[in-house]
Order: sequence, then C-alpha cells, then structure tokens
Amino acid sequence: MARFYLHVINGAGRAADEEGAELPDAQAAEKRAVEGIRSILADEAKAGRLNLDGRIEIADEHGAIVRIVPFEDALEIRRAAGRRGGT
Amino acid sequence: MIAALLLKLRARDEVSAAEEEALRVAVATQRDLPADRTFIREGEELDTSTLLVEGLVCRYKDLRDGSRQITALHVAGDFVDLHSFTLKRLDHNIMTLTPCRVALFPHARLKEITETLPHLTRMLWFSTNLDAAIQREWELSLGRRTALAKTAHLFCELRVRLGLIGLAQEADYALPLTQAELGECLGLTAVHVNRTLRELRERGLMEFRGHEVRILDLAGLERVAEFKDNYLYLENRPR
Repeated sequence: MARFYLHVINGAGRAADEEGAELPDAQAAEKRAVEGIRSILADEAKAGRLNLDGRIEIADEHGAIVRIVPFEDALEIRRAAGRRGGT
Repeated sequence: MIAALLLKLRARDEVSAAEEEALRVAVATQRDLPADRTFIREGEELDTSTLLVEGLVCRYKDLRDGSRQITALHVAGDFVDLHSFTLKRLDHNIMTLTPCRVALFPHARLKEITETLPHLTRMLWFSTNLDAAIQREWELSLGRRTALAKTAHLFCELRVRLGLIGLAQEADYALPLTQAELGECLGLTAVHVNRTLRELRERGLMEFRGHEVRILDLAGLERVAEFKDNYLYLENRPR
C-alpha cells in the first residue's frame, strides 16, 4: 500500500487533495481518479453543462506526479459523424 | 456518561430527576473503542443497545463491490441502535469513525423502563423517530440534492446536532471525518467531495480543513443546502 493524492484541475481551478488515500498501486489510484471524474461530470451534466477540459494529477507521497488522467479519458464519448454541438 | 443524552433530550422536553436516575442505572457497562472498528455486525443477535458517549459513529451498508453507503452519523448522546431493542438483530453494520466511548444498555433494563416509566419511554421513542426523520432528510439529499447542496446540508445539520450537546460554536466545530468518509455519507467519491468543498470555499460559504469546520456565511450555506431545521424537532414541549 502507498499513499496517493488526487489533485483535480478543471475550469473551476485546482482542488488540491491534502488528505490522500492508501491504495495498492498507481493503477488503483487511476481507477479512483476515473470514478471521481465520472462523478463530477455526472453532476455537471445534470446541471446542463459539461466541461471536459480538466484533469486529475495523481501524486505519490513525495509529491511527484505519477499519472495524469484527462477528464475525457474517463468517458467513452460517441457522436454521429458530422454532427455539430451547440445551438 | 449520559450527559450528552440528557442535553439532547432536555432540548426537546423535560426529563425528571427520577427519569435521569433510571437512565443512569440502566447502563451496565462502558467500553472504549478504537477508530474504524465495526462493533455491531449485520445479523448478529443483540441483547443490549449502545449509547454513544464520546466520538463519532456511523451506520453503514456495503455492496459486493465494496462501495459503502453510510446511512447515519451519530454524535455523542445518540443511541446508535436503540432500534435493536425491538429488532434484536440489525440489517446494517455499526462502526466507530473516531476513538469512542460507549455505554451499554441491556435490553432487559430498557424493558423495565418501558414497563415503569411511560414518559421516559416516549422520550426514547422520540429519539428513534428523530433518527428516522434525519434518515428521510438524507434520503432527500441522496436522491435529489446536488453535490454542492447535499454537502452544504450535512454541514448545516451537524452544526445543529453538535451545538445541542455543546460541541459546536455558532460557526465553528470539529469534525474528525475524512473526505472519503464524507463521500460515503453523501454518495460521492472522495475526489468529488474535495472538488465540492473547494467550491463551497470559493463561494465564501464555509471551509473544512484539518477536521475543522468554519462556516463563513451561515445564511448563504443554508440557502444553498435548502436547510430547514424542522426535521430536527428542536421545540421544547411535553411529549
């Protein structure tokens, strides 16, 4: 087990994780990050907006960034070809 | 030992000296428990009810994949399982979140209270009704409130509940919970809780750092949460 910190960076700024979590490895931390992103985006979608320009930086206990998970990597986004968003 | 319980009950109705004494003698023993100890397990046969004297305790249920829902938080003065007096086994687990002191009330002694002290019995009944009212409000949060609103709501609720037992100031209180545990109360991931706390801070409503809650704008926080304290039944009246 090791301690990982999941810092969220998106349109609203940077939310540093000061608490961290004990996890088996970086892969488990990445899974946590993906779940976290999905939970944040689900809430945004309910409010009728979706900002995919964010990322989670996973830091180890020394503060070194070991992985970066872009928000859009947490979702499989499908759209019909040629379709344009917006109104 | 029953001081917090008395504060909680006396906020809602009078408790006579005889009733206070009956509660005191109904305690068989006290125990100290370390943090993160599941001390009552789903399905186990129970012949005592547990009063929380000091610390924080939760009721929780887990899914097979390990995801956990905390269904209730208990503060000092709460019975964590007064309902086991009639249920005799629970459909959920009960765990300490911090080091705790608890007092054990054998069901046989609670039975004596129900047979001899009708008003005190009603006060105990009131406290399980209050648990149910809080549960309904959490259900509203989990089902309908946004992440921001339900997080704000939980902090509003705990300010009142801890205030009743002298553990919260007007705008500050200690809350030794991790963001992961908050997430388990709110149906959010720890990452999302962190992000939501940041938003509450940026809006100038409250801060939660190092297990300390500091409310910066109570009216604003209550507005975001749609917090109304009616479900906490704070009126002092004969019951």
